[in-house]
Amino acid sequence: MLCDDCKKKPATIFFKEVLPGKITELHLCEACAQKRGLMMDKKLSPFELLQKLLQKRSAKDEQVICQVCYLSLAEFKRQGRFGCSHCIEHFRPHIENLIKQIHHSSKHVGRRPKQGARKSFKVFKLREELRRALEKEAYEEAAQIRDRLKDFGVDDAE
Amino acid sequence: MLNNIRWLVPAKHGGESGEDREIVVSSRIRLARNLSDFPFDIKLKVKDSERLLQLSRSVIERDCSGQYVDMKELTPLERESLLECHLISPAFLKMNKPAGLYLNEHGNISIMINEEDHLRIQGLTGGLNLTDISAQVFECEEEIGEDLEYAFDEAYGFLTSCPTNLGTGLRASVLLHLPGLVFTNEVEKVLRGALQIGMAVRGLYGEGSEIKGSLFQISNQHTLGLKEEELIQTIIKLTHMIVDVEMKARDAIFTKAKHEFEDKIFRSLAVLRSARIISTDETLNLLSALRFGIGTGTIKDVSLDVVNEIMLVARPANIQLYFGQILEEHERDIRRAEYIREKLTASNNI
Repeated sequence: MLCDDCKKKPATIFFKEVLPGKITELHLCEACAQKRGLMMDKKLSPFELLQKLLQKRSAKDEQVICQVCYLSLAEFKRQGRFGCSHCIEHFRPHIENLIKQIHHSSKHVGRRPKQGARKSFKVFKLREELRRALEKEAYEEAAQIRDRLKDFGVDDAE
Repeated sequence: MLNNIRWLVPAKHGGESGEDREIVVSSRIRLARNLSDFPFDIKLKVKDSERLLQLSRSVIERDCSGQYVDMKELTPLERESLLECHLISPAFLKMNKPAGLYLNEHGNISIMINEEDHLRIQGLTGGLNLTDISAQVFECEEEIGEDLEYAFDEAYGFLTSCPTNLGTGLRASVLLHLPGLVFTNEVEKVLRGALQIGMAVRGLYGEGSEIKGSLFQISNQHTLGLKEEELIQTIIKLTHMIVDVEMKARDAIFTKAKHEFEDKIFRSLAVLRSARIISTDETLNLLSALRFGIGTGTIKDVSLDVVNEIMLVARPANIQLYFGQILEEHERDIRRAEYIREKLTASNNI
C-alpha cells in the first residue's frame, strides 16, 4: 500500500483517530507522518520522564514528610528515590500522578509475596498499626487496616 | 589462577542452549526487591547495611546453594571482571557501603546485596531462554521471601528505591546480534519500532553504553500494570519478530553480495587467527563477523561456544584474570591476540 499523502513511498505507519461520529484512517510513509506531526521525535524513557516530572516542585514539599524515615517530599524530588517502604504511604496523594505518567498505570497486577511467609509477623505488625490508628482516631485508616487483616483471615473488631 | 576467575567459567556468556543462539546472545531477568524492615538505599546507614548484608547472606546461603563473594575482599580488577561478565551492574561498582554478591553453583543466578535496592536477583543464560531463566529467578525469590519480608504495597506492588521499578521490579532483556540489519541499514527502523512499543534499546553494557559489534540490548521499561508473564512474553514475541527480519536481511545480503560477505567473514577469521596485537573493540567487531559466518553456515570449523567464550574472556579485566597478572593496555592487546590464536586453533582441531 502506498502512502495516502505522497502516493509514492510505501505506507509503513497506520494512523487511526476515533472522534465521536468521525473515524479517520490514514496510511502514511514515515516522512509524511512526520510532516503531519504524528510521529513523536523521541519518546522519553520512564527514567527521563521521572527526571522531568520531579522538576515540578512546590514550597509545601518540605512539609510532607515520611513519618518513618523522615524523608521529605522535597528531598524525594531532589534525589528521585524513596527512603523506605513507608514513603509511599505518606507521599501517596502527591505522587499518584507521577507514577501514573511514568508507568501508564497505577495498579500492580503481578505477583505478590507469599502470604504464608511469616504470617504471624505480618498480623502482629498490622495490629500494631491498627492500634496506632485508633489512638489517633483515624477511623478511615483503621477500617483499611481491618480490611487488610481480613485478608489474613483475622477479624479484628476491637 | 583459575581460582581468580571462578565466575568466568560457569557463567560463560551464552554458554547454555536456548533458542536462536547465533542471533540471541543471551537472555536476562532481573528482580528488584527490598526488605520492609530496613530503610532504602539513600536512608540506609552503614551499620544497617552491614546488618542487612549479614541477614540476607545467612538466608540466601541457607536457601540456595552456591558461593558468596564479599565485594570489599575483591581487587578492583576482579570487580571489573564481574561487570564484564554481566554479573553485577555498573552502579554496584560505585556503591560505597558494605555489599555482597551471591552466585549459584551453575553461575546463572546472581544476587547483588545492597545495590540501589536491597536485593537484585538476576538470571542470565544463553540464547532466547527467558521462560526457563525467569522460572529459576522466581523460585529463588520465593525461597528468600519465605524468610525475609519484602516491601510491598497493594497498589504499587513491590516497592523499590526508584519509582521506575515499582510493581513487578522486573527487567527482562535480551542481547541481540544483528549484523544483517546493520548492513542493510534497517536496524534503526526496527529498533525504533521496539521503542514505540515501550521497550528500551541499549548497547552491550546497558544504560548509556555504546553499541559495539552489532550487539543490541532490548528490555522492558515499564514495570507496573502488567503481569510478569506479560512483560516477558512481550519481549519474547518482539525477539521472534526481530530474529525473523534479521534472517531476511541476511538472506538479502547473501543473494546480493555472497562473495563480498564470505570474503569479509573469512578475512575476519584470518585476522583473529593471525593477529599479534588486538584491541577489545577490534576483537568484538571481528567476532561479530565470525558469529555472522557461523549463523549463515559459511564457517563450519568454529563453534558458537568458542565465539561466546572469546567474547567474554577477551575483555580488558577478564583477559588479565585469565593470565593471572596485571597487564598494561599494550601488553593486554598482545596477550589477547595470543589467547585468541590459541582458542581458534584449538577449535580447529576438534
